[in-house]
Parts: sequence; C-alpha cells; structure tokens
Amino acid sequence: MNSLPSIGRCTLVFLCSLFMASMLSAQDPQKQPDPNKEETYYKLESFPIPEHISLEAGSLEYLPNKTLAISTRRGDIFVLADPFIKDPADATFKLWASGLHEVLGLAYKDGWLYATQRCELTRIKDSNNDGKADVFETVSDGWEINGDYHEYAFGSKFDKDGNVWVVLCLTGSFSSAVKYRGWCLRINEDGKVLPTCSGIRSPGGIGMNCAGDMFYTDNQGPWNGACALKWLKPGSFQGHPGGNKWYKETGEAIGPAPKEPKSGSRMMVEAKLIPELEPPCCYFPYPEMGQSAAGVVCDTTNGKFGPFAGQLFVTDQSHSTVMRVCLEKVDGHYQGACIPFRQGFTSGALSILFANDDTMFVGGTNRGWGSRGSKPDSLDRVVWTGELPFEIHEMHAKKDGFEVIFTKPVDPKAAGDVASYKLTTYQHIYQSAYGSPKVDHTTPTITKVEVAADGKSARLFVEQLQEGHVHELHLDGVRSAVGLKLLHPVAYYTLNYIPQ
Amino acid sequence: MMRVSKRSFVLRSLLASLLGVLCTIQLTPLSAADLAPPKVLGFERLNGTPALPEIAAGELLLGELNCTSCHAADGALASRVDKKPAPILSDVGNRVRPEYLRGFLNDPAATKAGTTMPNVLATLPEEERKEVVEALVHFLSSTGEVEDQAPRKMNANRGEALYGSVGCLACHDPRPTDGSLVPALKASISLGKPSRKFALPGLAKFLEDPLAVRPGARMPHMNLGQADSVAIASFLLNDLEMATGLEFVVVPGSFTKLPDFSQAKVAATGEAEDFTVDVTKLKENFALRFDGQIDLPIDGEYEFFLYSDDGSRLLIDAEVVIDHDGVHAPAEKSKKKKLTAGKHSVAVEYFEQSGGEELRVQVKLPGAARRPLADFIVAGKKSETSAAVAPPKFALNLDLAVKGRDLFSSLGCASCHAMKISGEPIDSKLTSKPLSQLKLESGCLAITPQPKTAWFPLSELQRKAIVAAVKGAASQTSKLVGNDAVHRQLTTFNCYACHARGDIGGVDEAHDAFFLTTTKEMGDEGRLPPPLTGVGAKLKPEWTKKVVAEGNKVRPYILTKMPKFGGNLPSFAAEVAAADEKLVPAAPLAQEQWKDRKFKAAGKQLVGAQGLGCIKCHVWGDKAIPGIQAMSLTTMAERLNPNWFHPYMINPVQFRPGTRMPTAWPDGKATLPSVLNGDTNKQVQAIWAYLLDGKEASAPAGLTTGAIELVAYDEAIIYRNFIEGAGPRAIAVGYPQKLNLAFDANGMRLALIWQNSFMDASKHWQGRGVGFQPPLGDNVVKFPEVVPFATLTAAETVWPKEIAKDQGYKFRGYKLVEKLQPVFLYSFGDIEVEDFFEPIGSDGLFFLRRTVTLTSKSSPDRLYFLAAQGGTIKETADGGFQVDNGFTVRLPKDTKAVLRESEGKSQLLIPVEFTNGKATITETFDW
Repeated sequence: MNSLPSIGRCTLVFLCSLFMASMLSAQDPQKQPDPNKEETYYKLESFPIPEHISLEAGSLEYLPNKTLAISTRRGDIFVLADPFIKDPADATFKLWASGLHEVLGLAYKDGWLYATQRCELTRIKDSNNDGKADVFETVSDGWEINGDYHEYAFGSKFDKDGNVWVVLCLTGSFSSAVKYRGWCLRINEDGKVLPTCSGIRSPGGIGMNCAGDMFYTDNQGPWNGACALKWLKPGSFQGHPGGNKWYKETGEAIGPAPKEPKSGSRMMVEAKLIPELEPPCCYFPYPEMGQSAAGVVCDTTNGKFGPFAGQLFVTDQSHSTVMRVCLEKVDGHYQGACIPFRQGFTSGALSILFANDDTMFVGGTNRGWGSRGSKPDSLDRVVWTGELPFEIHEMHAKKDGFEVIFTKPVDPKAAGDVASYKLTTYQHIYQSAYGSPKVDHTTPTITKVEVAADGKSARLFVEQLQEGHVHELHLDGVRSAVGLKLLHPVAYYTLNYIPQ
Repeated sequence: MMRVSKRSFVLRSLLASLLGVLCTIQLTPLSAADLAPPKVLGFERLNGTPALPEIAAGELLLGELNCTSCHAADGALASRVDKKPAPILSDVGNRVRPEYLRGFLNDPAATKAGTTMPNVLATLPEEERKEVVEALVHFLSSTGEVEDQAPRKMNANRGEALYGSVGCLACHDPRPTDGSLVPALKASISLGKPSRKFALPGLAKFLEDPLAVRPGARMPHMNLGQADSVAIASFLLNDLEMATGLEFVVVPGSFTKLPDFSQAKVAATGEAEDFTVDVTKLKENFALRFDGQIDLPIDGEYEFFLYSDDGSRLLIDAEVVIDHDGVHAPAEKSKKKKLTAGKHSVAVEYFEQSGGEELRVQVKLPGAARRPLADFIVAGKKSETSAAVAPPKFALNLDLAVKGRDLFSSLGCASCHAMKISGEPIDSKLTSKPLSQLKLESGCLAITPQPKTAWFPLSELQRKAIVAAVKGAASQTSKLVGNDAVHRQLTTFNCYACHARGDIGGVDEAHDAFFLTTTKEMGDEGRLPPPLTGVGAKLKPEWTKKVVAEGNKVRPYILTKMPKFGGNLPSFAAEVAAADEKLVPAAPLAQEQWKDRKFKAAGKQLVGAQGLGCIKCHVWGDKAIPGIQAMSLTTMAERLNPNWFHPYMINPVQFRPGTRMPTAWPDGKATLPSVLNGDTNKQVQAIWAYLLDGKEASAPAGLTTGAIELVAYDEAIIYRNFIEGAGPRAIAVGYPQKLNLAFDANGMRLALIWQNSFMDASKHWQGRGVGFQPPLGDNVVKFPEVVPFATLTAAETVWPKEIAKDQGYKFRGYKLVEKLQPVFLYSFGDIEVEDFFEPIGSDGLFFLRRTVTLTSKSSPDRLYFLAAQGGTIKETADGGFQVDNGFTVRLPKDTKAVLRESEGKSQLLIPVEFTNGKATITETFDW
C-alpha cells in the first residue's frame, strides 16, 4: 500500500492513540513514578525534525508573538509557530531566512532579529510581512575571519545597555591569526565595537545570569585544563594568551595587555601574578560532567520551572546533557558548583533558552563532534512535572567548609553523619599544551556536619580546603526526611577563593 | 704480505708509552677530565634515579661500550648485557672520508665528543701513533671511495623540516640554521659537523638504512626512504657548497607549440631547484627548458605526471615520455614508464602564450604516493671551485693498507667491528681477560690512558657503575625477565625519549617542542608518541613485535615516526605481554557471536554517524570526515587485545588519563538503548565483531556522502561561506537563469561570476566544514582583488591596492528585492552604494547586468568605477570591451568610458557623475 486515503490514515492514527491511551491509563494506577528518575521531575519532549530540513540549532530566541526562532549551522532561520503545542509532532517549522553563515546567536529587539553569523552581526527584518526576511543589515563586521572552521562566533541576547556580546573562537586552538580572534566584543546598537575581554579559546555558548553579568563556556584545550564556565568581566583576561596581540588595536579600551601567563603553572598561582586573569568560575569535570560545554541560560521562571530560579543551566554537546550551576560571589569573583540536571537530549545539546516563563528549549547538533544523543539535529523541550526533586539546591563555600542546601528537608541523622559524604580535590595544570590531567589530588577531612533545624541545609566543617581546587563532593549517604536518595548525589565546587 | 711483528709492536709500544707518560705530562695530559665521557643516552636519561640503580647502569654501560666484546662476561651477567655491535666496516671507504678517519683514530673522543669508541692508541708516541693511524686509514679507505656530490638547497630545506619533525630530535641536538646557539640537551647527541665525515651519497645511504652499518639499532631505521634520506643528509651537510641541480633556459616568443630549443634564441639561463614557471618574471609569450639528472631508488614502473598551462613535454634519457604540447587550459597528462634504479637525464620543456601560466611535474614510485619529480634531482660532482678548497685527494697506498689490515686484527679493532674483505671476515687476534678476572682500576677504567689497553674518558659515575656491575655480577644470578627486561630494553634503545611507561620516560620539557602534529586540535594525543603503560595488555604480541621490528605509522598525525629496530628486541613483545597481562581482567567476550552477521551489523550501526558516531573522530581506512581524523578503525582489531578493548571502550580515561575519547557507556550504561537492547557488553562486543573484519568490513554509514548541490529554482538563493576566490566573507548568489556570482564582503567587490551549477555545500555542511569551496559550475571569471571605486587625481594615478576596510569601505548588508535577488549595500566616505545584479535576456541566453547606484551629499569629483581590468582589453566591433579571452563588458551607449594602461594592466574606467547627489552606472557581463 503506497498511500492511505487521508481519512483512513487519520482513523488509523486515531485508533493507535486510543490504544496507547488505554494502555497508559490502564497502567497508571499501579505505576508510581520512579523517584530516582529524572523524567519523574522533568519531562523531555522532542520535536520530530522534518526530513527535508536540517535543524542544527545554533541559537534560539523567543519572539514577542510567542513563536520560537531557531537559527542553524547551515545558515537558516526557522520559526516554530507553536512551541508549546501539546504534541510536538504536530509542530511546524517554517523557513524565515536563509543564506546566512553559521548563525550561533539570535537576539530580538524592536522588530529586528539580530543574528550573530561567523562573519558579522546582522539585523534581519521581514519588511513586507510576507513571512520571509528581506532586509539583512550589517550591524558590525568588526572582527576578522580567516577561513578556519574553528572561527566560530557566538552571540548573546541584549544586555541591559543594549549591547550584543560576541565571543570569538581562536583560529584553531592555539593562535589568533586575525584581529579579535580569542576575544569577547560588545557591540552596541550603532554597531560600535567595544573590545571587552581577551583570553578566549573555543566558546560553546554565552549567556547572562539574573544580575545581568555575562558568562560563556570555554572548552578543554590549550590553557584550559577542562571545560569551564567563565565570567566575562569587562577588562578581564580569560586565560588563553593567543589573542593578546590585539590589545594594541583596542586603543587601550581595556588597558594594556596583561602579563603572559607561565605555562605549567596553576590557575590561582597565575591569577595572583596577573591581576586581569579571571579564573573560571566553575570547571565541568572532564569527562564526568561533560566534554564539550556549550550553551548558557539563566532560570528566569521565578519558580515555574521548579526550585532552581536564578541558577544557570549549561548544555554539554558531547554528553547531550544539561548541567546546573549555582554561583556565588567571593572576593568579588563568581565561583560555584556544577551539578548534573538532565540527560538524554536527542542530539548534541548546544543552544538553550527559557520561553514563556516555564519551558526550557534545547537545540542540538552533532555534526563534526559526536554526541551521546545520536540524532544529527534536534529541538527538545523540558517541562517541569510539578514534582519537587530531592536535589542539592545550592552549595556555598565557607571559610572552614561548605554549606549544602537541599530542595527538601533531609533526614538529620543521615545528613548529619560525616560518613555520608566523600570529599576529594584536585586542580589542573594551567598550560599551553592541550588540556590537562587532574593533578595535586588531596582528600580534606570533613570533621563535623551540622544539619539546620529546618532540615534544609547541612554545614560541613572541613579541614584543609584547597584554594584553586575543584572540590568533588559525593553525598551518597544523605537521605531526605522520607528516605529518598538525592537524585544527583554529587557536586563539583571550584574553590578559587576561600571566603575569610 | 707484509706483517708487523706483534712482539716488536708491543715492545715498542711499551717503550713508547713509558716515554709517553714522561713526556706528555706537561704537553698533552690526556685524562678523563678533559674529554667528554662516552654518551650513552639511557644512562644520561636515568642515571642517578631509582629507575637506574648503579648495577643496572653498569650493565647498561658494559653493553653500550661493548666491553664484553673483548672481556667476556659469564653466566647471568652475560645474559643481562645487551651488547651494542660496533659499526660494520666492510665498505667504510664508501662512507667515511679518510681525513676524518685519520683524526678520529688518532683521538676518537677529541674528534667526536661522546663517542663510545675507546682510544686504543693513546699511549703510543706521536710518530708511531701516526704510522699506525695512517696504516689503518689506508686499510679502511681501501674498501671504497667517498663520492662527493653537492647537496641541493631545496633538499636541505626539506631536510631541515624533516629533521625537526620525524624524530631525529628525540636523540640529537637541534641544528638551527639562523646561527642561533642552542644549549646541548641532556640525553641528546650532538651531530657536530657531519661534513667532516660524510659526503652526501654516503650519508644519505646510511640514513636510509642505518641498520646495514649499525645493526645494533641504537640509531634506528626511520623508514625514511631514499628521497627523505637525501633531504635530511643534505640538511646535515648544509655547510657545504650547495647546488641547485637543474639548469634552465628562457626563450621569449609567442608560441602556439613548443619551440625547437636547439635552434631557439636564449634570452636567459640559470639554475633552478624545481620545474617551475617562477624561474622567470615573464608572464606570457615565453618558453622554458629545464635539464638535470634524476637518481631513482629502485627498478620499476614509474608514473609521471605533467600538469601545465600551456604546452609542455617531459623527456627522460632524451626520449619523450609525455607530450602535452599546444595551447591549453591547465590540464594534466600522465604516463607510466619502466626505468632502472640509478641516474637518468631528465628534461622538461614548456611554453606559455597568454593567460594563466602553470607547470608541475610529479612522479609516483611503484607502490608509493605522488611526489615532486624535483625531489629526485641530483646535482653533479662537486664543482671545480669547491674542489680547490677541499683537501688534496687521498691517494691509497696499498702497502700501508696491508699493514693496516694486520693492525686491525692485532689491535683488536676486529673484536668490536665486523668487517669482511672479499667476503672473508677479519678476526681479532687480540685476547683479553674475561671481566671476572679484571682488577677494575686500571686499563680501560683508568683515569688516564694506560699502555696496552684501550681507554675511555669515563665519568666518575660511569666508572663506578661499571665496577659495581662487574663486582655485583655474582649477586645478579638471574636473567632479566618481565618488566625488568622491558625496562632495560626501553632504556637501552632510548625508547623513553618518546614513550612513557609508568612514571619513567616520556617526552620531557626540553624536547616537548620537537614533537609536532598535523592536527593541533588533537592535543597531546595527536602529537606525543603513545605511553607504553600497560601496552603489553593493550596490544597483541604479534602486533607489538611487528611495530618494534618494522616501525609503524598508525597515527599519521604524529609527525614523529615510530622507527624500525629490526631484530634487536627479540624478546620485547613477549616480555611486555607477560609483564602487563594481569592489568585487564578477562572481558565478557562474545566470541561465539563475532561471526554472526546480525551482530556485526549492529556493530556497524554503532560505529556509524547515527550510532555512536565513532567515525566523527576516527578515520576509516582511507576515508575520513574532515576534522580530527584519529587513528583508523580498520586497524583496531589487528592491533588490540579484545580483553583490553572491552573495558577501554567503556571507560577510556581509566586507561589513558586525559584522553578525549568519550565513552558511550557512562557508568557502564548504554546511551543508545535502541541497539541490542542497550546491553553495554553486547554493544561493545558488536563493535569488536564489526572491527574484526578490518579493511574488509563495509564502511559505516555517514562516512561518504555525495555532493549537496544548491539549486535556484524560481528565486535567487544565497550561500554565505568560505568560497575559493571570494574569501571568508563571501556571499554567493545563484539565479534561476543559471548565472551565479560571488560577492566578497571583505573586499567589497564582485569576486566571481560563473554559469550553470551554483555551489556544492557538502564541504561546509558535512563534518566540521573545513576549507574554501570553489564554484560548482563552469566558465568561472575571477575579478581583480581591488575596490570598485577610486578617486584618480591624474590620468596616471594608479588604482589603490589597500584593503577595502582601510580605505573606509563599510559593508552594510543586503536587501532582497523581486525573486529574492539581493541588492548589496556598502558605503565609503559619505557615499552609500547599492550594487544590484540581475540576469537579463531570454530564451536561455542570459547576461548578468550590474547596476550600481551611488548617493552622496558631497558628490565628489574625479571618482571612477572600475568596470573591468585585465591583461588586455580590446574594444569589439559591436562596441563591447573584451577582457583577455575571458569575457566581454557591455556599457550603455552614452557611457563615457576610459580605457587606460596602468601598471602593466588594461583598465576600463567609468567616471562617476553625480546629478542631485545621485549617480548610476550600468555594465553587463557577457561570457
């Protein structure tokens, strides 16, 4: 049978869904959701990608008309008219613009969609309202490209001053062949370029926290022992000196070039010698947490997405995961912990966005770099089921240990037992060679744990915290008041600065 | 036959040495303190560390200094000493200059710092030593003659790059050519000035197969092949006068086929490194002929490739091999020809009429890749001028040679050096006490040379170590086995220079910069030779054996070669397998299923792009996706032990800390539940089953994909990417009328126009998207890389060459008008430009019309538009302008165009005349 008459096909689908529904409802009464599974709390729903399009989703933007714009590595921009449709299979992708050069940034403002292409920041409009873009204005081409595939440009949303921030990958891993490779630039509405940070190697995404500070992910490679989340503090140096030769072109916009770091040293040793060097706020342990850190987004849902309002979510392309990062400021620097959040995305998780104040969208691609999610391209959405997971909510450094805050009250006996925790530390070699092994391992002693009266936090007293080390905390013995295990019983805190 | 009586020799030496001791005290006090001690790399590297305790160090030295060739070791000690055979001298006369032999024999360590050859004649009186040395020199030099041949500059340059990359620097000091001084490296041998010792053919032959002369493989065989050996030898001999190797003549004239060079009027002659049109500045109307000599490595069928624009011809031994005559576009012709090893004359003839000029001559050796024919060019004998400064030619004295032959035997040279004369080995007549009977403070081990014995300028540590080893022989009752045997071999053969095993060895900081890669993005895994920790468990012993014996290149991205050690480490593979065996537990091998086709099919699915995507980073035989291109999956089953493969796949980091190899089974759980029910063990085993077929297995999905042709159907389409000829900011436009263009948004210029097919996006839309993509269609016209507008203050003002941005040009984007045709927008000064292209015409005959509209408040004067530029622009009968043979520009009738010559080019200029702040220019391309 080549083609079913359309009525027949509908009937078949209808019958199938009835059958499925009856199976589900039949099972529901017996089946309690498994409290140890991520999907019990966060549902992952995939949009089937039509065969004729390639949706290697470089960036996502939610538009005022409640549609979702998706830009692709092939240079198209699609619009998903109904991103919250009940069954993602019924959604339609409509081509809005094409012929662009690998768009890895979308930001909407005043009727224009700003697209960060490899070669420039462009604003795009459909001036005749025929559903297709027809005006492509170059806002700025204030950086150079050389023709190296590594020369990616990731663009942010607008900051509170109306700037788009662009992070520019080096030419390859090691050098900056042309101007501003290895830099973060701010571009204002007039197209004026403000060089903002040097020291970038190979970004995977860029995004703001709720305070409006900008962060990006950089990937393991030269001068980057492991993938990490970094704070683009204006004027800072992010660690890879490859692009530092362009300081002289900035007209001293951010001062003279910092001192060259010493290869083979340690990040915090150099950070003390180089005032501009901003240490990574959070390493993503390689390979436990991921191998290709990518998109960054802040949970702006005010609780509609669950208990993590204000925290950052970061994708990992290689592991097809979303991680969670809670940051705090110590000595004027952001630092904090990463915690697993959700795995199982359909392709290599890259772009990430919150829309409608309650839904997380994750776009994926695994072209050129493999991923656990095996589809070539993807758009997934994550919806909170309303069920509160038992998770580490936050982790804070103290001068003599850590405070761990939980999403639900804990069993004070289990959580108060030192033996419920395991704490080890290590750091990376800060070096010009590619990546770094974990070195300088230590095992600090947890001397005492005090559980708060409300059961929502535990205070760990630790001897020999290690400045500059990743503190890997396993909480396998902690139980909730009703005896649940933590959904993700591990957190990795990057302790650059010990609070005094 | 003349013989030197042994007794009289000994007596005389005794006397002489007594005198010598008396006389030389003030004159030449020869002592260990003055000379560099013998350099044994394993000793230098590990001496003083727990990895080389004193006795082990002594055993190493006993082998490397060849002590046991004279002083027999017995029992267990003999088995623990791996004797390094001295160079085979049967044809040393072909290789080493007599002048060098003279100096070296007279005082080895002073001539070659760090040599492991002892001084055998140290205590002889000057005169007598001279006689003995002279006799030995004549004897050794009677085995052949050093053939001088000037190194070629091109080879030396190539050799410099090879010396710096293939691994020479693992054991030898850098040799900068810029005159900078580099400190000698620890555990590294300085090569000094090899031209003292070698001429080019001899050194190249040695480098091509060091094991033929030094069978002990302390200098291993680098699998260089002839051309690369010549190149490295040329570099090492770069203090000699260089030759170019090719002679050429330039014949000007407008030819449509190759001229008869014997009759032609030669305008210039010269020497060249390569067959290239760059030897002349002429760009058209000329012919060239190159003459030289090639030296081919083997008998066989060679395939020659001749690529040219316009005509060319290749002659070998004065016979035409390829005739590629006539005016034509760049094209290649090839021809196979059987040739014998050795020298052949070669000539290449070429002519260029007009347009592009290109010439390339390549050769493919039997079973090898193509390479430039110029790699095989050899220079002739050294020229007269350089011979004049060379020392007088050595005249062999047969009597002396005969005397030398006896000395070679009586002095014990033959104890260490194998040598055959007319097929007859020379035996040593020297007898020495076995090690166990030595006193260990005199003779070879003395601080200063002693009569009747050989002598080494040993360091105190070396001396102590040797003494300890000999004294400790009794306590070392067993042969080295397992890891001890492995460690000793890795020390002896300096494997630790490149490979770490456990905590020992590996590339140190001083050498790190010498280890290079083709693919920097692979990090250290792509650059540093792999660690040998656990290698006995990882590799199949047969594979290990093969790699050690023959060398290897499974990691082509690591520029350092794994050398060939021949049969020198016979027990290594077995010992390392035994030592590491227990490091991996027996894996749940699914042997019974390895032949199951369905199981293999599941493995293939996992390896493919939509499975686990192994091929995104790994090569499959000769097929690869652009990007990382790690080692080929088709070699895995041949190399790896399946018991090791299984746990490695599940947790690579456990075996190779820091590896970028990801796992598809985090915590042992499959991330792809759809295959084999997500059973981890089954999935890993299915991959192994699939890989077991090696090159015979059918390629996994996603490896080869065809073109992605972009087609404009009813509307124009845009492709913005890296486009060859239009730069990294190219915007290509394909029109349904089958005309296409590429605008360069960096240079603000029309870069290319072409017909028929638009673009193939597969290069950029598959894998990582590496490189520039040329247009897919036909009749590609390239436009000059200059800005479209310029203010010309005088008739002779040249067109500006600065890049557009530096001249104030700004790209503003584009807008799409009817049929989605783009109007490019840019500005300079106060001028806004709209640059619009559209196909015009009908009935399948279309031209590309360009309409440029300028808006300016200042309406500047003397502004011109460059409508066309070329070698020659001719006005055609119908009022068009023909640019070279490429295309014709048509202008509206009333256009005031100016045709001018500037800097050797023809330019068609259109003055920009503003009316009410607006100007419009139109031109149409017909091609």
